[in-house]
Amino acid sequence: MYRKQVRRRRAVLLLLVAASLTLLSLYYRENNAGPLHGAEQVVSTVFSPIQNVADRALKPVRDLVNWFHETFDARGDKARLEDQVATLRNQLARQQTQQAEAKELAALNELTSGGIVPDGTNPVTARVVGRSPTVWYSTVTIDKGSGDGVRIDDPVVAAQGLAGKVTQTTPNTSQVTLITDSESAVTARVTPGGATGVVEPNVGNPNDLQLDYLERGSHIAQGQMVVTAGFSTGNLGSIFPPGIPIGKITRASLEEQQAYQRVHLSPFADLRDMDFVKVLTTHTGGGKK
Amino acid sequence: MILTPGIIARLAVLGALTVIAQVVCFSKMDVFGSDPDVLLLVVFSVGVLGGSLTGAVFGFSVGLLLDCLLLETLGAFALTLLTVGYVAGRYRETVGRPTRGAVPLLGAALTFLGALVIAAIQIGTGVDANVSFLVVRDAVVTSLIGAALAIPVLLGVRLVVRSALVDERGGARRSTDMRGGSARSRPFGDGPVEAP
Repeated sequence: MYRKQVRRRRAVLLLLVAASLTLLSLYYRENNAGPLHGAEQVVSTVFSPIQNVADRALKPVRDLVNWFHETFDARGDKARLEDQVATLRNQLARQQTQQAEAKELAALNELTSGGIVPDGTNPVTARVVGRSPTVWYSTVTIDKGSGDGVRIDDPVVAAQGLAGKVTQTTPNTSQVTLITDSESAVTARVTPGGATGVVEPNVGNPNDLQLDYLERGSHIAQGQMVVTAGFSTGNLGSIFPPGIPIGKITRASLEEQQAYQRVHLSPFADLRDMDFVKVLTTHTGGGKK
Repeated sequence: MILTPGIIARLAVLGALTVIAQVVCFSKMDVFGSDPDVLLLVVFSVGVLGGSLTGAVFGFSVGLLLDCLLLETLGAFALTLLTVGYVAGRYRETVGRPTRGAVPLLGAALTFLGALVIAAIQIGTGVDANVSFLVVRDAVVTSLIGAALAIPVLLGVRLVVRSALVDERGGARRSTDMRGGSARSRPFGDGPVEAP
């Protein structure tokens, strides 16, 4: 009797492990239109209304826990912020003078380049309704999908800067792979200066990105801003429009620049605490009104 | 655990609700730079209360649902949670019911095991980017949160499946009295028997 139980237990375990490994293997081999991706999307579509309701219902609980954490953090930030206020007050006086000039330049810039959002782009505002529980998958789920005109590879921006791109869609939801995901790479430009490179993540540390493959001889300093480069060569083009802010250079030692052609930056967007994002869709028509 | 259709239905509802709560709520919380993995603790609790087979099947099922909701690689969380459920069940079958002192340690150890399995799957399937040392810090913080939440989650799950648990309370009390153990070393007693 006991032996029979042990045999049964081992058989079920082997079956489940084999099923998991088979799913993993098949999922990697097939493309986004494959049957496993399809089945996954059906389940996600079925659960998305429940997810939306649960997201709103559980927001007070989430906010309460986050409030404790933020209060804890805020105590440490107080002294630093007081120094910053003094510095910023001085900067404000200078910037107000520059603002008048900037306004004129911005109007001129809008005429020539059309701003950050290219012509023909239709930004769709979406709520972040899900997040992966592990640092290995830097993805979030948003409540807008193919029914709203969202397509795979559409760029996604948060309030402060670039967030990532759409990697999967269902009729009601989409998966956004953030710029901190291990598979992310964004061509970027340092301003001012114009040095270009590729922004790659540092898995496990959402506050540190790396700007790799910098041109030799480009000298980059701490505090400089990094924006999307939006390269386009022939029919090949970056999916990100040029000029979207990505982050600020935090570490730029001359040694690292010369040896590895690399500097470090921290993203502008608070990718761990986003409630709303904008998807820059380029497809019009066919979406829900 | 006596698995009647009613208990299977309860476990299914518990699993589905926990997966949704994990995705929309717990994963979006910020606790010391990490987030609580309550789903893993629920799988651990089902394994401890129901044995390795129940733990493995429950872990596989909720893992598969989590993969689907996150539109992630199908099978990754299924394999991770299947491992956690099976190991928790085997602990119960070989060592016995964990004591109040052992539950947080087990919760932390299995949360860390879950982090290791998912990391192994990621590295096994290829990571193109640099991996920060903070991955280890995240696993440690999540494990500590797991230790803190292990007892409340186990009590919660026990409440849901209470009617299916074999009554071992009398035996546990006798053995505790004989050892003269304190409340901290007392094992978690199961609920009353219900005819299948």
